[in-house]
Amino acid sequence: MKGIPTVLITVSPEVSAQMRPPRALYPKGFKIGNSLGRPGMRDLQKQVLRDALSLLTRNTRPGQAETIEYPEYGEQYEPPRVKKLG
Amino acid sequence: MSTLSRKCVPFTPFDRELSRSTIAIVTAGGVHLRDQEGFNIADELGDLTYREIPPDVDSSQLMVTHHHYDHADAGEDINVVFPIDVLRELESEGFIGGIAKKHIGYMGYTMQLKAMYEGTAREIANEIDRGSRADAVVLTGG
Repeated sequence: MKGIPTVLITVSPEVSAQMRPPRALYPKGFKIGNSLGRPGMRDLQKQVLRDALSLLTRNTRPGQAETIEYPEYGEQYEPPRVKKLG
Repeated sequence: MSTLSRKCVPFTPFDRELSRSTIAIVTAGGVHLRDQEGFNIADELGDLTYREIPPDVDSSQLMVTHHHYDHADAGEDINVVFPIDVLRELESEGFIGGIAKKHIGYMGYTMQLKAMYEGTAREIANEIDRGSRADAVVLTGG
C-alpha cells in the first residue's frame, strides 16, 4: 500500500491525539468550526495553512500536535477534553 | 487508562519541496457541493459516504451538512474548514506547486468506526492516490 503524506489541522488536539496523526497543527484557542480561523480573516487563514503545510517539511513528532498561537484570532476557546474511562 | 490508538502511526515521509508539490484537501467537516446530496444526519449511526469536490469549484457553491458542530461560520466563509481559496492564493504566491485534481468531503461523525476505518478511509485514500495526483493532503475537521 502506498502512503500519502498528510498534515492535520485540529482544534481538538486531545481528541485527535487518540488517533496519533502523523503530523498535526493545533491553532491554540480556535473554536470548533474555525480550523483555519474566522470567516474573512484571509491573512490568518493563509498563515495557518502555511504553518500546517510547513510541518510536512520538518522533523515532527508523529502522534503529537504542534501548538501555535495566533493572537489575531481574538477570543480564545477551550478545546474539548477526552473523558477518562474508569 | 490509555485511550491512544494501538495502530501504528501512519507516517509517510515527505521528501519534496512544497513549491513543487500538489496539495489536496480532505475534510471531515461535512463539506459538499450544493447540488450534491447532503450527508444523512437523520441516521444516528452517522454517514459513511463521501463527496468528491473538483479543483475548480466556486467556493460559494460549497456548503456543510453536519449536526455535530456549529458550522454557521463555514456557511459564511467555507475556507474556515475547507481552505480551497486559501490554497489558490498559496499557489499564486508560489508557496505550493499546485492544487490537486480531486478533494474530498465527508461527515466526521459515525458510530461505525470499523467501517469508517476499514472502508471509507481506504476508499478516500484510493481516490486521492489514483484520482487527485496529490503529493500531500491537508486534513481538517469541523
